[in-house]
Amino acid sequence: MNYPGKGLVEGLAVTARNFVGSYFYKDRLTTVQYPEERIQTPENSRTFPFLVFDESPDKPRCTACKICEVECPPKCIYIVMDRDDKGKPLQRPKAFDIDISVCMQCQICVEVCPFESIKMDNDYEKSKYGRFNDLVQRLPDLLKSNDYYRQIKPVKAAEVDAKLKAEAEAKAAKKAAAVAAAAAKAAATPPAGSAT
Amino acid sequence: METIYQLLHVTFANVPAWTVQVAAFLIPIAFIFGVYPAIFALTTLVERKALGRIQNRYGPNRVGIFGVLQPLADGLKILLKEDIVPRVADKFTHFLAPVLIVVPGLLVYLVVPVAPGMVAVDLKIGVLFALAVGTMSAIALFMAGWASRNKFSLLGAVRAVAQVVSYEVPTVMAGVAVIMAAGTLSTLTIVQRQGGGILNISNWYVFRPWGLVGFVLFVIGGLAESARCPFDLPEAESELIGGYHTEYSGFKFALFQMGEYLAGMAMAGVTVTLFLGGYMGPGSGPGLVGSLIAMLWFFSKLAGMIMLNIWIRGTWPRLRVDQLMGFAWKVLLPLALVNIVAVGFWHFLTPRPLAWVVTTGWLVIWFLVLTKCNASAILEKREYRYV
Amino acid sequence: MNIAFWIISAVAVLGAVLAVTLRNLVHCVLALILFFIGIAAHYFLLRADFLGTVQILIYVGAVAVLILFAIMLTHNVTGVDGPKELLGVKWWSGAAIAATLAILLKKAILSDPLATLLPAGDKAQSSVAEIGKALVAGWVVSLEAIAILLTAALIGAVVIALEEIQKS
Repeated sequence: MNYPGKGLVEGLAVTARNFVGSYFYKDRLTTVQYPEERIQTPENSRTFPFLVFDESPDKPRCTACKICEVECPPKCIYIVMDRDDKGKPLQRPKAFDIDISVCMQCQICVEVCPFESIKMDNDYEKSKYGRFNDLVQRLPDLLKSNDYYRQIKPVKAAEVDAKLKAEAEAKAAKKAAAVAAAAAKAAATPPAGSAT
Repeated sequence: METIYQLLHVTFANVPAWTVQVAAFLIPIAFIFGVYPAIFALTTLVERKALGRIQNRYGPNRVGIFGVLQPLADGLKILLKEDIVPRVADKFTHFLAPVLIVVPGLLVYLVVPVAPGMVAVDLKIGVLFALAVGTMSAIALFMAGWASRNKFSLLGAVRAVAQVVSYEVPTVMAGVAVIMAAGTLSTLTIVQRQGGGILNISNWYVFRPWGLVGFVLFVIGGLAESARCPFDLPEAESELIGGYHTEYSGFKFALFQMGEYLAGMAMAGVTVTLFLGGYMGPGSGPGLVGSLIAMLWFFSKLAGMIMLNIWIRGTWPRLRVDQLMGFAWKVLLPLALVNIVAVGFWHFLTPRPLAWVVTTGWLVIWFLVLTKCNASAILEKREYRYV
Repeated sequence: MNIAFWIISAVAVLGAVLAVTLRNLVHCVLALILFFIGIAAHYFLLRADFLGTVQILIYVGAVAVLILFAIMLTHNVTGVDGPKELLGVKWWSGAAIAATLAILLKKAILSDPLATLLPAGDKAQSSVAEIGKALVAGWVVSLEAIAILLTAALIGAVVIALEEIQKS
């Protein structure tokens, strides 16, 4: 049936359905009540980098190799390698600062890191009261456990874990092989003392 | 007929007569200045919440429980804003316009009865007064638009004035139908004529063929005169920034909002009075309890009309300027004139069923004729690419 | 009543004087509106409530708006370039014409037999019914003549507008 004003009446019916329906069907309401409710961020979402440690914060995966510092396009990373009393490098960072007001969230640091140490976070509540020093993330702010990484990015974390495990196993196997080879070599060439 | 003066005079027989007079003078003023702005504040909240629900949102729900303090927060915010007057503006007119815009809206409430005898002034020409005062807002809108020295303001003012003047005609004509049927211009008497019948309801003028047509015409005219959606061309934000109130900020802007809402509510009140039986309803009558029930009925109907306005605002798109003018002069005005003839039939045809049949037939025939005549203006159904 | 009369008269006269002395045309019209409202208030004071309301509806609501529209379509609203002499020859001649007209009107009104028949202000009831009856009973021919005239004017306006549309 067609009559003048049909579209107007149908429109009124649609809005009336919305009006009443929004009180009875929660899934109609698309608004997320932010501070109380949060949306689960997608696996591939990213905000700022952080550093992964395995057992304790004293032993980060980072070796202070400074590749990320060099590769960072806006140069927001600053790294100082830790050294012992004799000046020998300890292969861990003494200072690791990221200025998140400069960081452009490009993820290049993650791509270039050979130790799976620096990863992208998905924590978006980083606003601070100060404009300068407050926005520089220091080493303690950046260090987060591997469990946290597994929690926010389960698929990628599993991949990384598998890769690290494989690497560790390969290393262990190589070491074992080296030890075995050394032992075999030792067995093949009898000690000088015994020969004589 | 009971009036506030007589009611007070009987209740407080001991006090001097002049105090009763002053009280009878001040109470309606206090009522109008207290109740209707409070309803305005409430309406802003209800409108935002209802529009939200229409769009499947929550609406404001942060200030106070369920957001009930939102109007207070809005008012405070707007009071603290800087009042900016353009350097080239006509200062005096620019200042006067927002003051004048509130006056017509409030004046209309003088003649809107809220309960038996409870009307600020029982003017003999109440309906005419309400309609006449309503047109005065056009002057204030023009002053605002012209004094701002801004092309968008002036365009908005031109649109507003043209719209108010055009829609005044069918609105008054729709009111004339009721005046003819009731045989009076007094709002109180018109409401009394709509009493009786089944449950005090069946005699409402909206339940007559001519009354229904008049009601629709009057609601449309009221929306257009108070520049509410779908007739909000004067302040079409996508075309004119803010229309006539582009150059206003702070409290003056709030006064514009207030004047607009008060005018819209006043039109809703007049609609309720003329077509929806005013305070008439089951249980309303003289005496304290009857008066309270009557008041409840009146404000429920007012709330219903406000909700209808919000519903329309949340649904219908804005008209184009030529559609707006064509609608007023080619559809509403002829229909209003035909409606006046229909009231004549209703008045003179004696057996009621015959009057029903003739009046309805007359209106339906003319509605179809008007639809046919305006067929070129009715848009075809369009398919959009990304439906 | 007397106090109200003087206040309203003062406002109306102020509006009238401002309407002819102000240099900005829009201000003049706004002053004229003030004058119209003052006259409407006078009608209310004389218990001619219908006339007062119609004064607001027609003069404030329609005529003043029409004048405003006409002014908006003209250039040179501020009157800076216009004649500046306030009490020049034109002003005096205009004042003389106005005064003559007022005296003539007063004589005409007072010599009319209706003037003595006017009811006393306090006793007059609502004037709507009497006006209505007079219009459709005694003066129906005049009413219809005015109606035809106005309809002709309306059609004429439409014809002029149509011609302009066809030209462009």
